[in-house]
Amino acid sequence: MNRLSRHLDSFGAILLAVIWIAPLLFAFWAAFHSTTDAVNFNLTSRLTLDNFRVAWDGAPWLRYFMNTFLLVTIVLIGQFIITTLAGFAFAQVSFPGKDFIFILVLLQLFILPEVLIVENYAMVSRLGLFDSLLGVGMPYMASAFGIFLMRQAFKSVPIELDEAARIEGCGWFGVLLKVYVPLAKPTYLAYALVSVSTHWNNFLWPLIVTNSDKTRPLTVGLSIFGAPENGVDISIISAATIMSVAPLLIAFLVFQRQFVQAFLRTGIK
Amino acid sequence: MSAQPFVVLDGIAKRWKGALGVQDICLTIEEGSFVALLGPSGCGKSTTLRLLAGLETPDEGRIMIDGADVTHRPASARNLSMVFQSYALFPHLSVAENVMFGMKVRRVPKAERLRSLHRAMEITGLLGFEDRKPNELSGGQRQRVALARAIVAGQRLCLMDEPLSNLDAKLRHAVRKDIKKLQQDLGITVVYVTHDQTEAMSMADKVVLMRDGEIQQIGTPEQLYSQPENTFAAEFVGAPPMALIDGAALPGFSDGHTIGVRAENIVLAETGQGDLQCRVTDCEFLGAETFIGLQHPQARGLTLKVAGLKNIPAGQVIDIVLARETLLSFDKEGRKIPQG
Repeated sequence: MNRLSRHLDSFGAILLAVIWIAPLLFAFWAAFHSTTDAVNFNLTSRLTLDNFRVAWDGAPWLRYFMNTFLLVTIVLIGQFIITTLAGFAFAQVSFPGKDFIFILVLLQLFILPEVLIVENYAMVSRLGLFDSLLGVGMPYMASAFGIFLMRQAFKSVPIELDEAARIEGCGWFGVLLKVYVPLAKPTYLAYALVSVSTHWNNFLWPLIVTNSDKTRPLTVGLSIFGAPENGVDISIISAATIMSVAPLLIAFLVFQRQFVQAFLRTGIK
Repeated sequence: MSAQPFVVLDGIAKRWKGALGVQDICLTIEEGSFVALLGPSGCGKSTTLRLLAGLETPDEGRIMIDGADVTHRPASARNLSMVFQSYALFPHLSVAENVMFGMKVRRVPKAERLRSLHRAMEITGLLGFEDRKPNELSGGQRQRVALARAIVAGQRLCLMDEPLSNLDAKLRHAVRKDIKKLQQDLGITVVYVTHDQTEAMSMADKVVLMRDGEIQQIGTPEQLYSQPENTFAAEFVGAPPMALIDGAALPGFSDGHTIGVRAENIVLAETGQGDLQCRVTDCEFLGAETFIGLQHPQARGLTLKVAGLKNIPAGQVIDIVLARETLLSFDKEGRKIPQG
């Protein structure tokens, strides 16, 4: 019985893993073969890089990569600044209404970003940031999840370290920068991973708020590239997809150990 | 010593949501002295230190350091250093960076920083450990890093919050001597919080005994030992503490008074010729001497000190004589009655 259930567990896990990875594996397969070979699963067929060549020439990918890269960087910097300051305030500064305001911030976690799209759109237009990378990134900067995470990380810093730094002559900003931030490094790393992968993959909001190749990130560019009116060629679309996920995938494979450790240390899963 | 006291606490009170923290703390500290705040846990000694450090703000009273009113100054502007019970070393910084932390914050030029660092490392015997991280050090080494950080910037006032309580007994004794020597060599003023009366008595020039948020007695170790102001001081200070005997049990003393006597002033007497007849409860052999615990219905803490090893079976009844001229009398409230 016990042995059976253990086998069932592993079987289920493997099944889920296969289902999860199958589309990615197929995309890899298709990207390196001609369309006919790809759909016929002709195992002996020749590998080709033609798909990449065609896909690369089909759209301003470099521009898209640049946009996505800038976007995740802008979002991450904004998030770091805002969540650090807000998290510190909620963790170590006492001010009236702190708990109430913190609950308001947490409530934001229950609201799906999609619900706010119309309101965000109106706000970004009013700010004159329509069709700009700052406009794409701005609604995500004050992240409730990030504030919560930073608050927890800062709360776990022993208060004596804060006091020691103040006795050594630090003001509150010095204490934050020299004690809290360095000690929360694993949290920053884990949060950066979550943030970068989320915004690298974000699609709906950038689709709505961007209007030109100048600001369009990879996801939007890819969907336009793969839209049916451009003709569906599964191999070329696969090649383009592989191209757009490659940087993230490689980064994850390279830094896998650090990421896993950072996650374990901060306790988010 | 300057004419004006270096540190003055004037009528300090601090309350926590209505509950009492400390009150009526009046204390003056001369420059270059070693002052110990002594008391059982929860007596407010750490609170007093934190008020002095600027980590808490008093509800009443004034704090002066070096002639300046610092009552409402933040900790960073009080020009003092502190050694924490947990050492509070920054785990992400190396030993050298920990020690130089304050100087870096205060933008001391690099050359001077390194010179001070070297000197502090030399004094505390940490040369060669500069690049280690705190978690690669033993407890005693961490303690010395904390000390180095406290002395490196040359602040004239150094606060220590039970700095030895995380060390083992042998190391504690060695570091106790080191701290005292350091304080004398550098001529700094140290305010030292401890619950261990041996530490306070052996290191301090002036001991401040506290209980329940109030000062019980201020004096030199000798004064606290031989002239306790009240029964609390009598029972807290000294090893073994002063024995307290009901006045009625001794001829020549009035009812209601309590008589205090030190163990060294109690002598074994011939049967039937002593002041008190007591039952032996236990014998504690310490090498050079033996403490014999005694039980008497109208006394507590009676201990007889005998040279060398002496084993009296528990339960045996013995007679003791008290050296009359050394006895202290306390009134009903436990205050000392002036002699004369």
